[in-house]
Amino acid sequence: MRPFRSIALLVAAVPALAFAQGAAPAQPTAPGSSGPETTAPASPSPADPPERSRTQRDAPAVPQTAPDAPAQVAPARPPEEDDAEGTPSQPPASTGPTSGTAPASAPGDAPVLDSGEAPRTTDAQQQRLVNGAPLYNPNVNVHIVQKKRFADEGKHELVLYPGVVQVNGKFTNHAGTALHYVYHLQENFALQVGGQYNWYSDESDFNLELIDKVREQAQAASSLLLQWGAHAGVEVTPLYGKFAFFNNSLAQFSLVLSGGAGVGKTRHLIRPEVANEVDGQTYQVPARFGDTGNKFLGEVGGGFRVQFGESYAIRLEVRDLIYTARVDKVDGCNLADFESLEAARAANQPFEGLNLSGSCKVAKFDGVDPETKKNYREDIILGRDLVAEPSSDVLNNVSFYAGFSVLF
Amino acid sequence: MNARTLRVFAALCISLTALGAAAQEDGVLDSAVVRNRLYKPAGHPELSLSVGLPVQTHLTAHYFFNVGLAYNLFDTFALEARAGYAASRHTGLARSISESFLDREDKRVTDELEDLWQLNLHGVIGARWAPIYGKISLVADIPVHFQTYLWAGGGFGNLKRESVIQCTQVVDRAAGVCDNRTAVDDRGSATENYWVKESRVAPVVSAALGFRFFVQEKHGVRLELRDWIFKDSYRVNLLRDDWEAGNPTGEPAGSPGLTHLVQFDLGYTYSF
Repeated sequence: MRPFRSIALLVAAVPALAFAQGAAPAQPTAPGSSGPETTAPASPSPADPPERSRTQRDAPAVPQTAPDAPAQVAPARPPEEDDAEGTPSQPPASTGPTSGTAPASAPGDAPVLDSGEAPRTTDAQQQRLVNGAPLYNPNVNVHIVQKKRFADEGKHELVLYPGVVQVNGKFTNHAGTALHYVYHLQENFALQVGGQYNWYSDESDFNLELIDKVREQAQAASSLLLQWGAHAGVEVTPLYGKFAFFNNSLAQFSLVLSGGAGVGKTRHLIRPEVANEVDGQTYQVPARFGDTGNKFLGEVGGGFRVQFGESYAIRLEVRDLIYTARVDKVDGCNLADFESLEAARAANQPFEGLNLSGSCKVAKFDGVDPETKKNYREDIILGRDLVAEPSSDVLNNVSFYAGFSVLF
Repeated sequence: MNARTLRVFAALCISLTALGAAAQEDGVLDSAVVRNRLYKPAGHPELSLSVGLPVQTHLTAHYFFNVGLAYNLFDTFALEARAGYAASRHTGLARSISESFLDREDKRVTDELEDLWQLNLHGVIGARWAPIYGKISLVADIPVHFQTYLWAGGGFGNLKRESVIQCTQVVDRAAGVCDNRTAVDDRGSATENYWVKESRVAPVVSAALGFRFFVQEKHGVRLELRDWIFKDSYRVNLLRDDWEAGNPTGEPAGSPGLTHLVQFDLGYTYSF
């Protein structure tokens, strides 16, 4: 379709060019101007100036004498660097000189400029082709999305996300680090496996504020914390492009979309950090978390991969880790277990011999911490509160992933 | 947490700098880049309309409707004035808290909750810096040109606050009713409620990270992640007996912090 479109545009442009040459001063032919994305300035007739597009630059100044020499062709780049938007890959038919010296003679059909000003494209720099396009030519607007300079197909990619920060934490906060491996089966399709460890996972200040001020808190299932997760899935890159930062640096980027499934380990806060006073001495007791088991994990995400060279890339992504949360056991103990433990605690009886479920880790609720003097039995009632009303929820842990990758 | 965050950012910056330097040494960065911009906004004023949806809601939810007028001093820099109205409401969570707290008489001294102010009318003036110009290949033959920008500015906003704790006239404590509804189950029939209300005008700061996609010559679509920031204000050490008798109680919090309203903005831009 692309050649047909180019031809159609060329045909459509013929009357305009004819009009421009007949009714207005001629303009230099712009190299590489035959592509659909290339815009040559309209004829700038001083008497009747057409409405000028914002995309067009100032019309070239028109000299009264013709150039002395035909324009020389600047060396074009290999085809793989040609315009991917429709600019023909063959070298331009005519371009400006590559040096700053005046041309020697004019061809018969050379454009004749009728003003006293020198053409703006006599400068060698302006005539230079960059990646097959006259990027410096002020008479030509060219915009290019090049072919991808770096092929991904068949490559391996190792991605380290040092910073993974939850951005939707209403009742929870997470921060961690993730490591992903991506194998690019095709240019736009890849397989991925990855793991994430949250070195910080705790209930949010908002939840603690509710507990403190209004004696309310999120249901256990809604404030479940994700300790780590592992998943496998696919990644697609439907879009690619490039951008310039202050016209100085070029970066190629791709939009990446990912999806997968896996498993994650969860926990729940049983008791926040407290001060324990024993015999007139105060000990700081760290927060205590209870194991709430492994949960199925789904993952969807999207973001940008900005590539630097063939081997390095930066990834900025947002991923949603979705996990089902049903809290009916804490540290393996269910409600019946907690009831038995609480009854034994109230009677100051040992826990040995209690009829508990096999998964209940009774040792976690018995004994005294030697450093903080905290009696673990005091946590039984807190654990029981978590499972007293079994709750379930589907949690979305949306996090911002910032990382870099190495391709090999 | 701050120290941790700083460490993470520092490590990230070092990593990114090293990568960029390595890439430039390899000569993979082309000095001639998106040189011939198809769209050059410099010197053009523009008018924009936008709608903002909350990224996350806690106790309040805001829906922003804004009109903006900007002038592009350069291709990469513009000044913009934005004004609008934010339709706001309490979330279901706030309503649930208010209803249950009426009956929680074991809590007779408490503090007001944070971040309950709702922004309504507002106006800000700011600067937009768009150092990144790029294009993406949407489909093989359809390039889309865009700018990525940072926006920062300030102004004033009209704020109102309705407590979810202080009810000056309890109608039905068990049912959590603090209004003049005609039936306990018919919340919609209420024409007036008795929660403590406040209002004020306060300075507002706004910052955004956005993308502007050019559509033809004069039109554009903007996607933004925008944060509206203002100073919070609430009272502490409130006595239930006092507020239920309709008397002012408590004192202002010493360091109430800032309220952030993070929005996802979708906008349209017309360039003159």
